[in-house]
Amino acid sequence: MTDTAADTRPKRAIELTPSNAAQTWAMSKRSIVALWRQPALVVPSIIFPLFFAALGTASFSRATNLPGFPAVDSYLDFALAGAIVQGILFGSTVGATALATDIENGFFDRLLSSPSTRSGIIIGRMAGGMAYGAVQTLIFIAILLPFGLTVKGGILGVLAMTVGGTVLALAVGALMSAMAIKTGSSEAVQGAFPLLFIALFFSSAFFPRETMSGVYGRLADFNPISYLVEGFRDLTIEGFTFGAALNAIVIPSVLAVLTVALSLRALRSRLGAR
Amino acid sequence: MHNAALPIVAEGLQRYFGSGDDVVKAVDGVDLQIQPGEIFGFLGPNGAGKSTTVRMLTTLLRPTGGNGRVAGFDIVDEANDVRRNIGVALQDAAIDPLMTGTELLRLQAVLYGLPKATHATKAGELLERVGLTAAGDRRVGTYSGGMRRRLDLALSLIHEPSVLFLDEPTTGLDPMSRISLWDEIRRLNNDGTTVLLTTQYLEEADQLAERIAIIDEGVIVRKGRPNELKADVGSPTLFLNVDAEATQQATTLLATFGELRPSPEGALGVGLDAGPSAVSNVIRDLDQAGITVRHLELHEPSLDDVFAEATGYRLEGADT
Repeated sequence: MTDTAADTRPKRAIELTPSNAAQTWAMSKRSIVALWRQPALVVPSIIFPLFFAALGTASFSRATNLPGFPAVDSYLDFALAGAIVQGILFGSTVGATALATDIENGFFDRLLSSPSTRSGIIIGRMAGGMAYGAVQTLIFIAILLPFGLTVKGGILGVLAMTVGGTVLALAVGALMSAMAIKTGSSEAVQGAFPLLFIALFFSSAFFPRETMSGVYGRLADFNPISYLVEGFRDLTIEGFTFGAALNAIVIPSVLAVLTVALSLRALRSRLGAR
Repeated sequence: MHNAALPIVAEGLQRYFGSGDDVVKAVDGVDLQIQPGEIFGFLGPNGAGKSTTVRMLTTLLRPTGGNGRVAGFDIVDEANDVRRNIGVALQDAAIDPLMTGTELLRLQAVLYGLPKATHATKAGELLERVGLTAAGDRRVGTYSGGMRRRLDLALSLIHEPSVLFLDEPTTGLDPMSRISLWDEIRRLNNDGTTVLLTTQYLEEADQLAERIAIIDEGVIVRKGRPNELKADVGSPTLFLNVDAEATQQATTLLATFGELRPSPEGALGVGLDAGPSAVSNVIRDLDQAGITVRHLELHEPSLDDVFAEATGYRLEGADT
């Protein structure tokens, strides 16, 4: 750029000072409001995990006596961790589907043609899912408490689970968003949903790894969801320990770093390697 | 004027998709020099490369080759500076249906970094400008097509851009909404905004644009002022319909009055070398040959003729 050319650039009528934080926050508010305005999309991800937990508690109450099953007052205490993770996996696809819809209807291009940061657009879109992850964790605990749930980790345990749930929502939301950005199709995102379900079943979400055998058990050993769920579970049935809190928070954080990087990479490739 | 000072410049802009034998040359060497304060019409059918060119100039797509400057900034190396200075309303009025008009304008104000104190006033002004004050607090999902387009335009104006890109702003709108949007575009232009407008409507380009470029298969095939381009086509075009069995004979006869021109399906078209006065001779000769004329229209040279002459076909749905 030469000085001559710089002089001829248009003079702005108003001074613009785009702020990364303000943009991300505005985008976040938008995604939270969007969830609030579509209750039909989010309610099932609360109902179904609770239903599974209730069904499990009714059907598997004597399974708690099996060798390898941790000492719990009831299956409900055991089931809470699986229900929270399950709800977040389901709920996080809602934000990614919304992102794919933004791409389909062109709103995404409007955002990209503005001077907002790319990461702000992605994180902002995921914020709805994160807020939802936090609220959902608290809702599950609140609803199950009157049915005999005891969280031995106390307030600190609930706090660690809420933080973990929020970060997990980001991790899963970013993974699904990478797919949304790559395909630009809300159907593709919804189509990938059963994969999350399978990943959940091949983990210790519903039964302890100690009771699993063969391929099933080996897959659960490799599945990061197992360790995440066990972090949540230890906070519920054993009490607050830093080890359990780390499992509940660090595992989703590592996943989140990877999946947010993946989604930003997908975005760069969508923009033609920009 | 030196190229660097122009609001929009493209030099040999290219965008290819795919590779090897399957490569699609969506845009293949587009040159544009758009003057300050001009409304420039970019005309072409679907898939001609209009939107791909706009996407490159608005930093949404990286060019395969060539270069471009918008508002004085390079579209690749200074993309963020370009974004601060342009307003963009892309095809299909892309707006989140769950938000209200006011919420979207406020979001847009944050994205562009307007001072917070001005957000409410600015949103109110723009809603009033596009006639949506009463609908401002309604969700966009309840808006009609015309209202969405007007909101889309308002969104693209939030930061008072010096250059405005409108990609097919009136496609799918009813005639009243179209005219109201044209008026708004003219007002903006009178205030000094440079506008690049893509359209597949010849009339729109004719009404609004001071200069146009016709793009076909990724290449600009004509460029200039509409009047000059029309004058270049020369003679008026006579379109007529005859019975199917007489088509061959009528074609031979018409060719004696001038060159045959692309015509809508079922019709024959000829450029009358002798001007409009030749119409009576055409009718007489056809009559003498025993050919019945079912329908007849005489058109002074139009952008449609310019388009047809440049590309060898007529735009679907164009007035003839």
